[in-house]
Amino acid sequence: MDFCCCSGSCINLDVLENALNTDGLTTGKDSGAHHLVERWVGRTLRFGVWTSAGLMVAGLLLAWLSAGSLRLPSENPPPGEVFRSLLAGSLDPVTLMFAGLLLLMLTPFLRVLTAAAGFAAEKDRRFVVVALVVFAMLLGELVFSLR
Amino acid sequence: MSTVSFLLLVLGGGVAGTMGAMLGLGGGVFLIPFLALVFGLPMHQAIATSILAVIATSSAGAAMNVERQTVNLRLGMVLEIATVIGAIFGGVTANILSGEVLSRIFAALLLFVSFMMIWRTRSDIDAAAPVINGSFSSSYRDEATDTVVTYSVKRVPVVLVISFIAGNISGLLGVGGGIFKVPAMHMVAGMPMKAATATSNFMIGVTAAASAFIYFAHGHLNPMIVSPAVLGVLGGSFLGVSVNRRIKGSFLPWIFAVVLVLVSIWMFWRTL
Repeated sequence: MDFCCCSGSCINLDVLENALNTDGLTTGKDSGAHHLVERWVGRTLRFGVWTSAGLMVAGLLLAWLSAGSLRLPSENPPPGEVFRSLLAGSLDPVTLMFAGLLLLMLTPFLRVLTAAAGFAAEKDRRFVVVALVVFAMLLGELVFSLR
Repeated sequence: MSTVSFLLLVLGGGVAGTMGAMLGLGGGVFLIPFLALVFGLPMHQAIATSILAVIATSSAGAAMNVERQTVNLRLGMVLEIATVIGAIFGGVTANILSGEVLSRIFAALLLFVSFMMIWRTRSDIDAAAPVINGSFSSSYRDEATDTVVTYSVKRVPVVLVISFIAGNISGLLGVGGGIFKVPAMHMVAGMPMKAATATSNFMIGVTAAASAFIYFAHGHLNPMIVSPAVLGVLGGSFLGVSVNRRIKGSFLPWIFAVVLVLVSIWMFWRTL
């Protein structure tokens, strides 16, 4: 049995029903409802990529303008130091670029947290746990690397 | 850093991103040889830079694919458990190995990628039978055919193992690992090619982030190099997607496969 909606898309309802009656690990249960997780995750990714790209562009432009006085640190600074410097209103080109890099590296972390929140809003507890497991592993790697 | 070096990085990143997007690969396969062989960057720094570029292109692409629902979000998140574990092991291992050893492993990977590119041109690859009574069922709207495609997935444990290997290669060599995951998700799990590609790309950002801080802590991320390279790859990948819509032909994978074999030989030769 086919169902065609006003936008012209057709869904074979028999196939859809079969797909929904599987082992419970289905994504179909919310397919007609909200797609809340997808929307939130999409926005988080977009925010992370474009903000970090903006910080890198700003850093590179300032570095180009202050080419003579630019000093690169001998080793990568701790993330906390970069954010403190940024919050203090620093427009140091290297700080801006590091902030861009760190935000880019943290975007997947934010994406996993957003997915956990979205699954929670959709009352899909099993995938809240999956998302939190992924987040815990990422956090463990971050702490292990920077300790 | 001179203006010439800056422009070279943006241009090199742009070409790597364009070529990667045209072939459905991440930019890493092309960016790392450029950084190591042309720009003369140490292998660890080239890998670290590529990891950042991979996070950027994956996230930008995934933002669109997630909203179009071509990404199987729940399957992707389960497989990420395997890719993240693999990537952490890969990142730690890479920082123990020397640049020469990494270059040789990368040269071997390039040969594998060129083989896979040719193998993917086989016309029967896209003919995997749809899985109806599997798990992780999902549906998306295929814009090309203007229909809603409904599917489910089988043999998830096998795909988990392959995802672990893909994550390991990603952390070790700074590539996305889609060249392993996409065929596995399509041929083994029975996912439609579009959903397999989108889901694999979606996972790559988290996989790359799992090893990124290991490289950061080892001081392999130079913002003056990473920033122009990442911006170049990001711009190039958008260009590649747009070019890909206009140029269709089976000759492209063959040309790039030959290029990758030559780069592989160059990379291996340099370590002797």
